[in-house]
Amino acid sequence: MPATIKKTLPHLLLMLYVAAVLTPFAFILLSSLKTNNIDIAERPFGLPESWTLQNYAEAWTRAKINVYFFNSAYLSLSSSAAGVLLAAAAAFALTRMKFAVASKWIYQFILIGMLIPGNVLFIAQYLLVKDLGILNTHWSLFLPYTAGALPISVLLVAAFMRSIPGELEEAGIVDGLGALRLFFLVVLPLTLPALVTVFIVNFIGVWNEYLLANFFISKDHLRTLPTGMVGFRDAFQTNYALICTGIVISVAPVLALYAVLQEKIIEGITAGSVKG
Amino acid sequence: MAGTLKNPWIYLLFVLPALALYVLFFIYPMLSSVYYGFTDWDGLNEPRFIGLDNFAEAFSDSKFRQSILNNVYILLFSVFVQIPVIVFFAILISGVKRLQGFYKTTVFMPSIVSTAVIGILWGFMYDPEAGIVNKFLGLFGVKEIYWLADMKMAMWAILIANAWQWVGFYIVLVLAAILAIPRELNEAAEIDGASGWQRALRITIPLIWPVISVIVMLSIAGAMKVVDIVLVMTGGGPVGATEVMASYMVTKAIRFGDYGYGTALSLIIFAIALLITAFYQLAFGRTNERTDG
Repeated sequence: MPATIKKTLPHLLLMLYVAAVLTPFAFILLSSLKTNNIDIAERPFGLPESWTLQNYAEAWTRAKINVYFFNSAYLSLSSSAAGVLLAAAAAFALTRMKFAVASKWIYQFILIGMLIPGNVLFIAQYLLVKDLGILNTHWSLFLPYTAGALPISVLLVAAFMRSIPGELEEAGIVDGLGALRLFFLVVLPLTLPALVTVFIVNFIGVWNEYLLANFFISKDHLRTLPTGMVGFRDAFQTNYALICTGIVISVAPVLALYAVLQEKIIEGITAGSVKG
Repeated sequence: MAGTLKNPWIYLLFVLPALALYVLFFIYPMLSSVYYGFTDWDGLNEPRFIGLDNFAEAFSDSKFRQSILNNVYILLFSVFVQIPVIVFFAILISGVKRLQGFYKTTVFMPSIVSTAVIGILWGFMYDPEAGIVNKFLGLFGVKEIYWLADMKMAMWAILIANAWQWVGFYIVLVLAAILAIPRELNEAAEIDGASGWQRALRITIPLIWPVISVIVMLSIAGAMKVVDIVLVMTGGGPVGATEVMASYMVTKAIRFGDYGYGTALSLIIFAIALLITAFYQLAFGRTNERTDG
């Protein structure tokens, strides 16, 4: 008997923890399908009286979540793509080209960026984008997001590139490839696993970013999901169902990505934080 | 052709774009922060050099002192409450065979969700009318709590929501370290008759101490950075009860236009984070310089 208790007790405790993690999500999901506050408040875990996706249609268009969603999607995609490409190009030059001394200095210089907590630069970056005349445009987010991801991206990609055997490039050079084609046709494909990891981590980071998005953008049609959602909550304070719908819509893409690529995401995010 | 990888122009072509962006958005803001921190710039008039006035003002500013205190609460809570919980659950997960992957994936999940959205989600959970936190506590006879409006409870509300988001992330870090311990060690101890507790305390924890040290450092850095969840859940209120350094800095600079004072605050945040980290390293971190594997 004690043996079975020993076996089930850890599972019991872990299931309690899992319940603590999943309960809020379940509560939000169920509430998003309900039509009135009484239903939510009195039977939080009861199934909806009548199944409806009406909230989703309403949140999507009337609450302009479609706009926020699109803004978030294209900012996340473009700045992660730009970040990965810039980091890969820099890492290529730093690890594979024959400028060892300069490369060492530049590499260390870029890594300094990881010591500086993002918040500390917030005001100075605000003043910078204001001076550049891009406050209240998506450039004011695209540029700091792309730049912000560089130090850790360069670190991860450079580490990966160092492990690629030099023979492959030499073969490329012998075949007459110039540096550009060598980079795009030989090195980038070989580095793909690291690039994918970095891309995903940056994508999630930008998708979730709140502080800059909140203070650098004040035009409603330019808002991203996190800030749009907060504004949305403030506007629909008593419409619980609609707020929950908004939460579901903004969380769903990241969770869907996670469902497919959990190993890659866990690996990337933990590596990024520990090295950083 | 042999010169392909030695062409300086190509080198520049590859390095410069990243380097330029990095300098513009990291190095320049860092330097300009140091400059503005010593001025009284309000965004309108010419910045005037005022020496250490901003820093002196900061430490006599009772609101800022309150916000330092709140960061300290977050730090203490994450180091002394969260970390034991993290290690406990990581050991539990490492010990089970079935469902191990499921536990790992599930506990990690909140850390990939936007902190702003988690702020909204928990704000709703704490709602006195519709939220389920009070309903749950009501089962044990706890009276209705106005979590976010009550000065005594608001900070707890933030601590719990913040822990809910990050504990699983650290569990996964610790779990990876535990799973890297050679099996033989635990098996040998088991044969020698060591109980589960003994093995955890005498074998697992000493062996993963370097990782625990890393998560202490990450928790310190994390506690200094907390801002999104405060801005979204309480906006620093009620009456400054949940204001943290970063939220106060942001409010001062953006809402009131005190850029000089705000940047001075950001430098103080940076300095405090560096000091605590350095102190921790000197006091406890000696034995594990490289732990990141």
